[in-house]
Amino acid sequence: MSRTRFGALIAAATILVTACGGTTATPAPTTAPSTAPGSSEAAPSGSAEAPSQAAEGTPKDGGTLIAAIPGDIASTDTAFIQDSNSSAVSNQVVEGLVGTKPGTTGEIIPVLAQSWDVSADGLTYDFKLRTGVKFHDGTDFNADAVCYNYDRWKNFTGALASPDYSYYYGAVFGGYGANSNMVSCTAKAPDEAVIVLQHPYSSFLLSQTITSFGINSPTALKALDADNADPTKSGYNTGAKGAMVGTGPFMFSEYVASDHITVVKNPDYWNKDGIAHLDSVIFKPYPDQTSTLNALQAGDIDFAFNLNPTDIGTLKSDSKLQAIDRGESCNLFHLAMNQTHKPFDNLKIREAVAAAINKQALIDTFYGGQATPAVTWMPKGGLYAKDESLPAYDPEAAKKLIADSGVPASDLTFDFWYPSNVSRPYMPDPKGIFQAIASDLQAVGFNPTPQTKGWRDGYLKEESTGKYPMWLIGWTCDWAGPDNFLDTAFFYYTDGKPNPEFAYTNDALHDTMKQAEAATDDATAKTLWEKAQDMIRADMPTVPVVNSTPPAGAAAYVKGFVGSGNLTEILNSVWLDK
Amino acid sequence: MLQYIVRRLLSAVPVMFGLSIILFAFIHLLPGDPAATILGQHARPELVAAMRQRLGLDLPLWQQYVNYMGDLLRGDLGRSFVNNRPVLDDFLIRFPGTIELTVAAMIYAAGLGIPLGRFAARRPQSTGDAIVTVVSLLGISVPIFVLGLTLQYGFSVQLRWLPATGRIDPRLTIEQVTHFMLIDTLLAGRVDAFIDALRHLILPAIALGSIPLAIITRITRAAVLDVANEDYVRTARAKGLREQRVDGRHIMRNAWLPVVTVLGLQVGGLLAGAVITETVFAWSGVGKWVVEAIEAHDYFVVQSSILMFAFIFLIVNLIVDVGYAFLNPRIRYS
Repeated sequence: MSRTRFGALIAAATILVTACGGTTATPAPTTAPSTAPGSSEAAPSGSAEAPSQAAEGTPKDGGTLIAAIPGDIASTDTAFIQDSNSSAVSNQVVEGLVGTKPGTTGEIIPVLAQSWDVSADGLTYDFKLRTGVKFHDGTDFNADAVCYNYDRWKNFTGALASPDYSYYYGAVFGGYGANSNMVSCTAKAPDEAVIVLQHPYSSFLLSQTITSFGINSPTALKALDADNADPTKSGYNTGAKGAMVGTGPFMFSEYVASDHITVVKNPDYWNKDGIAHLDSVIFKPYPDQTSTLNALQAGDIDFAFNLNPTDIGTLKSDSKLQAIDRGESCNLFHLAMNQTHKPFDNLKIREAVAAAINKQALIDTFYGGQATPAVTWMPKGGLYAKDESLPAYDPEAAKKLIADSGVPASDLTFDFWYPSNVSRPYMPDPKGIFQAIASDLQAVGFNPTPQTKGWRDGYLKEESTGKYPMWLIGWTCDWAGPDNFLDTAFFYYTDGKPNPEFAYTNDALHDTMKQAEAATDDATAKTLWEKAQDMIRADMPTVPVVNSTPPAGAAAYVKGFVGSGNLTEILNSVWLDK
Repeated sequence: MLQYIVRRLLSAVPVMFGLSIILFAFIHLLPGDPAATILGQHARPELVAAMRQRLGLDLPLWQQYVNYMGDLLRGDLGRSFVNNRPVLDDFLIRFPGTIELTVAAMIYAAGLGIPLGRFAARRPQSTGDAIVTVVSLLGISVPIFVLGLTLQYGFSVQLRWLPATGRIDPRLTIEQVTHFMLIDTLLAGRVDAFIDALRHLILPAIALGSIPLAIITRITRAAVLDVANEDYVRTARAKGLREQRVDGRHIMRNAWLPVVTVLGLQVGGLLAGAVITETVFAWSGVGKWVVEAIEAHDYFVVQSSILMFAFIFLIVNLIVDVGYAFLNPRIRYS
């Protein structure tokens, strides 16, 4: 996969800021660049207090939290982790050089790196590392350990260098070995690691916040044969004792396949303000959401990472439970159209669709209120997101646009697809949402024909190849940058041709996004990404509908949880008030 | 007898072979592509193609089948597409959970169903018989997931008498040696944990056992009624035998055969029902695993698990058939 597909940007802000003059500040590119402390003692990831925490009283230490995750974990080697279940566990144990501030989706903070410099050309990242940090196996965290990890990923071969294992390394760095965008990682000093890229990549820092770039103990990796050509034979990947050795506030203790994963408190955590209150956390897979709610109500579990938004009312009405709002969204649900299908080759028709949809009614009915109307083609709080003043719900305006389009009523009939057998964080009830939108469309004169297919039974494949005229789709961030939405997920070009999914041709947009991804200063990146959004707004290729935050739930005695829309929550701040 | 058992085991070979072909065909006929499923929304055509190649899905179907069967005959059940782990390893970890659940459900179904059937047969057309009949019908009619969620809501959420989900309170750290929770807790010398595991077993066993309970009750009733009208029963009574002896020696001894047959057949139903029960009760067993595998188009997990289920079903039925000889001395196998 070409690097450009993933390219992107965001953090650009950061880096770039510094990059401009090769400054030493540690920029934090984030949604709020001004908060970025670069150097040293910026708040580490584990220490953040939830804004609401002050009202929750003095934390008590001790106890075990039983937390439901939607399915079993797939791996205990962070380099291979691609699923949210495994991430929920490994986020507690393994840390990267940088992370996102708890409660935010894209505000970069130092974690194992305490500061960094970026060269003016955007190619060299000089990380100053924390000292005195030890891995859970007692070995030292230092620059050698950092480069051991980065070199390990770069040098993956065979099965390890494939999307079913190290997908995110391949995606972010564009390949392995000589094809990787990483030229080298050098341990310049025990507390200084320098990573050199082939091409500037403005999203580099933000991309390094994801699970896959966690730093594991080299000793532990070697001991459990993590680089075995067959990863199924690597205990490090399969949850053997001694796997998942990081520096985080919890230590991996036990994995029993399909039953549970236990992590225990790390009493020697390097960030003394972030030492966990809980003695341990037990993660248990709960694939059925109704059973999860029952288990929460029955007291079998203390916390559920994922609940159906329609159960929020139940949680709120039960004094023994609480609904948890994760705050900032990191996804987008949009109503998609393909321009090779009539009548969606007509701009006025697409604008009419935008004006016909009652977004607030959808939010109230299907999202339990935990969503906001989308204002652009990415989360509204995301870096460089610009409020594009999208058409408000106005059926009369929609009718007028249809009339002005010149499209005869007979051409307003089309297939409208929704997926079955699926619930996505941005689309909790596809059929219900479909029915509501179809009704909105009919009200202004469209004549959508209902069509459905199983999400995994061909829907994704068919929508991605442009078979559907109109359909429901969305995207949950890998990292919270505009590149990850506008380019990676939606309007990318391959071999000079637009993504067949939407068949939205706009060469100038493509060029603008590429320039934004290669920008080496924040102002340029911001200007270019905002320009890209304006260009998309002018063409209205799809209709952004909502940004949602998937709800979590907990027993009322669970305190101190800091939710994040990107689900990178660390449980060290959690305590039990009982 | 030994010859019979060997012959039955040999006859299982073509059955399993035929089943493997049917399974393979069905699962490949399902719409959807495992490679695209694994990649999800990250799927791009070139990634899907590479993934298909890695998974061996780019080969002709017949070749995929031959490879699969070759591995199977060597004891290799393949690898999961999702986590790449050997299917056999994961099966063996999860299977004890399923056995524990199905055995408990069978004990519940037979332990309650047989006495209920006998009770109803003794008073045909009575109010008691009518009640048993209605309960049986309900048992057959109510889907497992509805019954399971209802039991959870009533006994766990509202009354808080029993846990709603899982196999044991995870706070009770028990080393899983055999993966049979009841056995592991005893091995650990933890009576409290044993009782907790038992409490976790009650609701799923009731949910899973509801259909077999209904069937066993009905069959027992019918079998007992049938035998009770035989001449030899009337003769036994006429010669002055005590009712207890008539019931034990003359009625039940002869009524057992159809009941035992049904018990064997219900094993298949229980294994199928476990798929749903385990999902509803977050019970870590093969059933829940198969559901997830079907959703993910995880071919080898689905194929191999179902083949293992089928094999177990054949063995259980063989045991039942052999059991006939002990129940009815007139039956001789050769």
